[in-house]
Amino acid sequence: MEDNTKTKITITLPTNAYFMSGIRDFTLNMIKNTTNFEEKWAFRFQSVVDELCNNAIEYGSSPGSEIRITFMYAKDDYLEIDVEDTGTGKNRMKAAELQKLFDERREPAYQFTGIRGRGLVKIIGEWSDEIKFEDRAEGGLRVSVKKFLKDPRFKSGLPQKAETIVLNS
Amino acid sequence: MTEVTILVENINPTLKVAHISGQLDESNVDEKIQGIYKALENAPKGLSMIFDMQGLDYMNSKSIGYLTDLYGKITELGGKVAICSAKPNILDILQVVGLTQLMQNYESIDAAKAAMPTATTPVVEPAPVAQPATTPVVEPAPVAQPATTPVVEPAPAPVTPADPSQVTSDGAYKFES
Repeated sequence: MEDNTKTKITITLPTNAYFMSGIRDFTLNMIKNTTNFEEKWAFRFQSVVDELCNNAIEYGSSPGSEIRITFMYAKDDYLEIDVEDTGTGKNRMKAAELQKLFDERREPAYQFTGIRGRGLVKIIGEWSDEIKFEDRAEGGLRVSVKKFLKDPRFKSGLPQKAETIVLNS
Repeated sequence: MTEVTILVENINPTLKVAHISGQLDESNVDEKIQGIYKALENAPKGLSMIFDMQGLDYMNSKSIGYLTDLYGKITELGGKVAICSAKPNILDILQVVGLTQLMQNYESIDAAKAAMPTATTPVVEPAPVAQPATTPVVEPAPVAQPATTPVVEPAPAPVTPADPSQVTSDGAYKFES
């Protein structure tokens, strides 16, 4: 805990998709129970975290290595999720390469034709307000996504208020 | 491996229902989805399929890729594809990737069945053996923002139910973790 307004949780796990079920459960419960995001966003971020980690496991970190997930919640402001790999995977990419791939696939004319490749753009990209790709000094990549709770620039993550009807007697 | 069950039920010679329950993720989808591809082997032209997602709690992007591929294979042979009983979070992810533009979602399995072509004379010509991702599937343009609430398609007008004599109780493939 950094201060009263920010909560930071870091999880390190082996490079194995087997553990992702537990991470998804954790993400869902953490967002539901400790943030003010509406439930829909808890499920959405469950997918975002899963996709980020699957990419890190598949491309960035070799088997037997690890990936690191960091959740940072700034109360009433934003949720940030960072996923880091070690850069030891045989399909590793540099931040600039991943950014280029992301930009290409984000073009409206881009057509997804295979089984894979939708996660980064269609799920992570669509459900984040900001996404950043960085090369880590120690090697590997850090992908950071941020969702604001009520930043007017973005669609609010707050629960939508039910309309109130006042009946005059 | 995460728990998931896929059970393919033969409703009539031209309609199958894939009941999917549990969580489809990176740890299991490549193996488990083969149950559906296997059920499509030697399928007649015009075979339609309903994905019953009542028990499905999670699906990742690769699962969606497989669904898109299956959609391409089935419709290429003149069949229809529908989804039914998907939970709000599943419908949300299907909407954000644009899949609900390809496949209609129905509130219940009965509504989905009613929307499928009525079984008439079985077509004897078998379709080629299905294999994942051999033909590209062109998807619609991405949806800018998904609807905030799940879109539930209205139930279609009732059509003549399938002839009970054509309903087979065998031939179901069950795949469990």
